[in-house]
Amino acid sequence: MIRFAGIRILQSLIALAILSVVVFALARATGDPLHMILPMNATAEDYANARAYLGLDRPYVEQYLSFVGRVVQGDFGTSLRARRPVLELIQERLPNSLRLAVFAMTVSLAMAFPLGVIAAVNKGRAVDRIAQLISVLGQSLPTFWVAIVLVEFVAGRLQWLPAGGISGFASYVLPGFTLGWFVVAGMMRLLRSGMLEVLDSEYVKLARVKGVVEYRVVWLHALKNALIPVVTFAGIYFSILVTTAIVVETVFAWPGLGRLAYDGITSRDFPVIQAVVLVTGVIVAVVNLCVDCLYAVIDPRIRYAR
Amino acid sequence: MIAMKRLITFALLTLGVTGGALAAPRIVDAQQKPELTIALSSFSAETLDPVLQGHNVKYYLSLMFDYLVGTTPDGQPSANGGLATRWENSSDHRRWTFHLRKGVKFHNGDEMTADDVKFSLERAMGKRSTTGYAGPLRTLIQAIETPAPDRIVIVTKESTLIIPTYLSRALSTEGVVVPRKYIEANGDDVFARKPVGTGPYKFVEQVTGSHIKMTAVDNHWRIGVPRYKNVTFKLVPEETTRIALLRRGEVDVADVSRERVKELEREGFPVHTRREEAILSVWWVLAPDGWPAPMKDKRVREALNLAVDRAEIAQSIFAGHADPAPIPLGLSWAFRDVGFKVTPEMAYPYDPARAKRLLAEAGQGSGFALDVYAFQLPGLPEGKAFAEALAGYWEKVGVKTKLVPVDYPAFRKLWVDRKAPGVVGYYNIANRSWIGAYALLEKMAYGPSKLNDTVNDPEIDGMIAQVMRQTDREKINALMRNIFTRLRSEHYGVPVVYLHSPYATSKTLGKWNPGSVMYDLFLDELASSK
Repeated sequence: MIRFAGIRILQSLIALAILSVVVFALARATGDPLHMILPMNATAEDYANARAYLGLDRPYVEQYLSFVGRVVQGDFGTSLRARRPVLELIQERLPNSLRLAVFAMTVSLAMAFPLGVIAAVNKGRAVDRIAQLISVLGQSLPTFWVAIVLVEFVAGRLQWLPAGGISGFASYVLPGFTLGWFVVAGMMRLLRSGMLEVLDSEYVKLARVKGVVEYRVVWLHALKNALIPVVTFAGIYFSILVTTAIVVETVFAWPGLGRLAYDGITSRDFPVIQAVVLVTGVIVAVVNLCVDCLYAVIDPRIRYAR
Repeated sequence: MIAMKRLITFALLTLGVTGGALAAPRIVDAQQKPELTIALSSFSAETLDPVLQGHNVKYYLSLMFDYLVGTTPDGQPSANGGLATRWENSSDHRRWTFHLRKGVKFHNGDEMTADDVKFSLERAMGKRSTTGYAGPLRTLIQAIETPAPDRIVIVTKESTLIIPTYLSRALSTEGVVVPRKYIEANGDDVFARKPVGTGPYKFVEQVTGSHIKMTAVDNHWRIGVPRYKNVTFKLVPEETTRIALLRRGEVDVADVSRERVKELEREGFPVHTRREEAILSVWWVLAPDGWPAPMKDKRVREALNLAVDRAEIAQSIFAGHADPAPIPLGLSWAFRDVGFKVTPEMAYPYDPARAKRLLAEAGQGSGFALDVYAFQLPGLPEGKAFAEALAGYWEKVGVKTKLVPVDYPAFRKLWVDRKAPGVVGYYNIANRSWIGAYALLEKMAYGPSKLNDTVNDPEIDGMIAQVMRQTDREKINALMRNIFTRLRSEHYGVPVVYLHSPYATSKTLGKWNPGSVMYDLFLDELASSK
């Protein structure tokens, strides 16, 4: 297990190194940040001054090596736009994104599990159809539309919940629901199909024949074996919720990592773009590692196979 | 069955929690609020250091800091609104003496003196500065003297009239006074995170991407005892959310789009408008050696102007909150300063038939290819719709347009590098006083500036060069009038509309004139008890 984890960590580090080269090159290919930083009436001298001050006049290789050298020491450089250390910006934004993602994931797990299991157990009945409708709507309604409708009606017209910003538990409900609904839909469908397959298996039939109580058959024996694809899905989506909830963060004025990335991209803020992509890479790598370890816990055969 | 019971229990618990949140009382009465909250779609760079900002947003800076020269709400230099109570110039217009207000203290208790003003100005002209007018000041200022703690003398290399306006609230932030001792002791980075000024509100906290909060000083010479204990600027990019916050009474002022004004007014929310806040101006990218064909031909430029129905654009794209603009780069707040009168003949009629005739006369009767770059801009969410309309009008007179969707930095690179001669771009150029208009013309209509020039006309170059050297205000006014007249008569660009920017306020906020100062909302009136 330790050897397995070690190999995965090494693979992740190599992937991050490649990612750093790609993001460094692509960020610079998109344009000159000085066009956004300097005023419209800036002179050629203003451009030269700013370029030298920000270190953008150095050769690309030198800039890259300097960037990598600083990153391994935990220094992501200074934001060209906000002129603050990027690490500080990440430290401000990442906890907000993590909190929202945890809330959204909790809501979606709490809804998807009962819905998925009940839909599978009641295949073809009304409750199954309702669960499938929720699933179809969750995956087909665009997130920005759901977010705008909730803000307009639930927050603005009915005034039931806060419209935006972070101001206590209530402010998590609308963005958390908007983010979570999409995940609920996917997770529920996976769980339902997994459960249907498992409920039809021989060992479940044997358990029933042996007289095991139905709720233990469903919630203990069957559910555990239907979890593998759900755990993979949840892992992938947790990373996505943390790092790319740009639409939800924009609509709900949520100062998270997604909006930091968006602002960085629109203002050609290279240090911010690089840092966010690398942090995202680390989050994905860590979550994937956790998911792999969880597989082994859920199904010991996976551990033995390795 | 048990599973079903658990599900029902969970649902009831969720409803209970939500219901509790819903039942919580909300305070919506502005009278009960010690706070003025302003929701804006953009904070620009979100930096609180005036030398790193200023060319886009001054809203929050103007409450925390004072400028050397103040202005009236309509942007005229005023001895009442700034740290200089009076100023005079030498007979050759090269020495400008500013007399400073006495007893002014920074928020950390340090007294404001001439040393701080000198330090601030040198800092604004430094290499680190990205303010709008640092470049011209670097070129112009020869020395800064501090003969007394309450007096500062600025010596220029050439005779000029521009110094007081350049250092005023009317333009960018070069005139903002910052504390020398505090910055020297703590460094630029600490100052940017915990700024200290002399304004009526002092910094409390900034959460990037979320808000900037400040709290009132006890009493301030500019506004008396501040009417609000705290002022918070909230960054809310999505308009639906800003309006929801307004409806919930969580914000007092919000910038709104032109298309939602009627709906808000129907609901009883007062909407204050900054009229002609910007001119939507279209221009052609020049070639390295000047005008590219076919735009080199004046008749083609005129035809492209006549092909555009400005009234329809104002009505259908900008919901009636815009007015046709007749003068290329015609910043109308400058017109009143220099006495420029826009006559009815200057307005471009919508005349596609004449446009076609002119194109035929210019040998372009069968049309020509024209790339129209389409992008959104801050304050111009209608950008792409406008570009589509523009391309549509030109198609009607035979021009073969191609829409090129990009983001603005990509267009700007092409523009200043002159790598795509003849392509079309646009900008909602912020309106400004005559001196600001002159500074803009010096960049966008002046050959020697090269980088941004869109005009390439030696006659205009000559007049612009004279303005800087001229010290007789009447002669300056005449030169400026001639420049505007020639820009119009030669059709150097396509002036489309003047944009009015609406700001909705809570029903209890009261009277407010958002003024006509560039990049500023002039919140003084709201915060003032005078």
